[in-house]
Amino acid sequence: MSGAGSSSPASIGGPFRLMDHDGHEVSDQTYRGYHVLIFFGFTNCRLVCPRALTKLSVALDSLGPLADRIRPIYITVDPERDTAAVMRAFLRSYPRFTGLTGSREQIDQVKGAFRVFAERRDDHASKGDYVIPHTAITYLIDPQGKFAAHFGDALSAEEIAGRLRSLLEPDKAPCERAPTR
Amino acid sequence: MVTSGMLRVALPLLRSDLEGIVYLYPVKCLRQDGGDGVRFGNARSREMSMSSRYAFESLDKLQIGHIRHFDNLSRQPPNQWKLMKGKGYGQEDFGGFRFQLAYMAYALALTHRHRLPAAPGVFKPVFERLIEKMLLPEVWMYWRDVSRGGSIFNAHLAANYREEWNPVGRDNIMYSAYVQSMALLYGYLFNDARYAQPAALTFRFWSYFWGGEAKCFEYDQNSLNDHIYWQMVESGYLGVACEPNCVFQICNQPAILGFRMHDLINGGSIAEEVTRSYEQAWKDFGRIGDNGHYHIMMAQDTKAVRQNIGKAPWVDAWTGALLNMWNRDFVHAHYPRQIRDFLKPGVDGALSINVPARPEVMGQRIVTDDCDFGWITAWVSEMGDAETLRGLLAHADRYMAPAWLDGGLYYPRNDLVENAEGVRTLVEPMSGNVLLGYARLNIPDGLWHLYNEPWEPAHFEEPAIVAVGSDVDISRAIFDPENNRLNFAVERRRDVSGDGIVRIARALARGPWSLACDGAEFARGSGTNVQIAGAVQVEIDGADVVLHCPERFAHSCVMAFEPGEQDSK
Repeated sequence: MSGAGSSSPASIGGPFRLMDHDGHEVSDQTYRGYHVLIFFGFTNCRLVCPRALTKLSVALDSLGPLADRIRPIYITVDPERDTAAVMRAFLRSYPRFTGLTGSREQIDQVKGAFRVFAERRDDHASKGDYVIPHTAITYLIDPQGKFAAHFGDALSAEEIAGRLRSLLEPDKAPCERAPTR
Repeated sequence: MVTSGMLRVALPLLRSDLEGIVYLYPVKCLRQDGGDGVRFGNARSREMSMSSRYAFESLDKLQIGHIRHFDNLSRQPPNQWKLMKGKGYGQEDFGGFRFQLAYMAYALALTHRHRLPAAPGVFKPVFERLIEKMLLPEVWMYWRDVSRGGSIFNAHLAANYREEWNPVGRDNIMYSAYVQSMALLYGYLFNDARYAQPAALTFRFWSYFWGGEAKCFEYDQNSLNDHIYWQMVESGYLGVACEPNCVFQICNQPAILGFRMHDLINGGSIAEEVTRSYEQAWKDFGRIGDNGHYHIMMAQDTKAVRQNIGKAPWVDAWTGALLNMWNRDFVHAHYPRQIRDFLKPGVDGALSINVPARPEVMGQRIVTDDCDFGWITAWVSEMGDAETLRGLLAHADRYMAPAWLDGGLYYPRNDLVENAEGVRTLVEPMSGNVLLGYARLNIPDGLWHLYNEPWEPAHFEEPAIVAVGSDVDISRAIFDPENNRLNFAVERRRDVSGDGIVRIARALARGPWSLACDGAEFARGSGTNVQIAGAVQVEIDGADVVLHCPERFAHSCVMAFEPGEQDSK
């Protein structure tokens, strides 16, 4: 038989090789043993990224020591402009996050693995410039490198913190979608 | 009412279509997060009572006839598609079996939710047979060819496409979303995890004659839901394509219905996330064209929107009928203007529709079932435009040759567009088998109520009719918790064979009971003891009460439970 079609959440994510904002090569293996909180964006983003990174930072702050078990990373969808240095400067406002960039091929590969939408469009507010509307989902990868959960853009910092706590704290079942009846 | 020439179109904000009851809706208010939405407060409670009141009215003979026709079609042997084949070739167009199967299921869902809430047994087996048919290769094998592209919409991209065997793997939301939503509707309505089991939704193909190894693609309601959700994410929430490169507004709505059912079953807020993001994504393009009609689709590669310049009725009607479930204010706001372009007055209150001639494409005449009349009628029913609905159904009954077969009501296929007098007579199987029945069974804002007003968990603990003989019609079935009684109406047919059984579950635990039909007590019982006083043989079978209705039995019945004497609950 051929073609086993299935789309369990495990099909989200996967191997990647990128460069962190200090210029070090990293891969998915770099973060084994930690939960990884991933957000995709670009540093010229005026609204979605600053809002999300702020919210995620607040959520992580509220976790206390539990946050030490999480590695928050911010992967650019705009590698042409977002060099390691640009990302390092941008993320000074969000010090919990490590920025990751790479070649266009590397970025397209990781975008595909996480089913991320990102599409370049002309910026009507700034002639000759461009923006990149992109997926505003936050992904959580478990210490074994498997997809664990995702958080929509509408969730508050408190809600995200609550879900992270329930997923990370021992003896608590990961129940992002608990049955209601 | 708003008068427009000779047409009278119901103003959707003011309803008076039910026994003089006048009510105002929809209620628009601000969500706490600042967005537009519908508040679930007193207004919602008020509307809940309005929708549930339909369950106290009996189905009429025509409505019962439509349900029985759906049942009859669902009982056909595998790959027998009698009365269902349309003009088009290869299951590619809107008359395809998948649409007929899915909208029969939707019509049944609406009827169960709103009109016969205490009779899951009338609907559940039909649902199962419809889903079983949805999984047959005859329904989805068109995708192996359509996935290769080459239509006028994507001819320039055809070299990049390849043959796909998995009918839900990529694109093809015009099929995948129906499987997803049907399975999840089943899970929600019947509180049954049948399609949540691994590989419960398996697409399998193998031919002795060609094609090599078997192809098998295994999903369940949740894995398929996840798969479609992530396709939605990957699209930037603009939606998943039908044919490659073609994102239709219409065809993404069933997926949203499925997301909502998934949330109701499993918890979570996928539907809320997707609808909010979908609205945001489409803001750049608008969903309505300059002429006030819904955009048809968007090309993924160019992000060019294809407007409904030709004012094709099916576009507005199909979109409006479905979009209403989560975007009611928007749909109702545009409905009066849109419908005016389509309605054509007839004799004695009958209403037909204007259908512009369809232009040739690449020098070819397009042969498809557009189902304009059927979709308009279904849309009008969702809008609660009672007078227009009456007019359209009057036209159908007068000019579209309604027929009865094995107790079922349908309008037979007729390829003649107009008769000698210029009156529209065209009936596609999708319209005649399904959509006219859908319209007759729906209630105002029926999909909206289904989507926004989930049953309380207690519903699934209440006494209900969980099975009926094939010769039994149920025209009313509602449990009245205030008075602790199950109200139902039963008729055993003479023109259909069957065993006359009505099986009632979740009743014994409520304590001593009595069964009265048209005021006369037929039986009384407690625990496993039953005293019979009438023509109905009543027995206790396990945890169920089973009625054996004699021939010609036709009664309104009440199964009443004595309060305070529950013996085992």
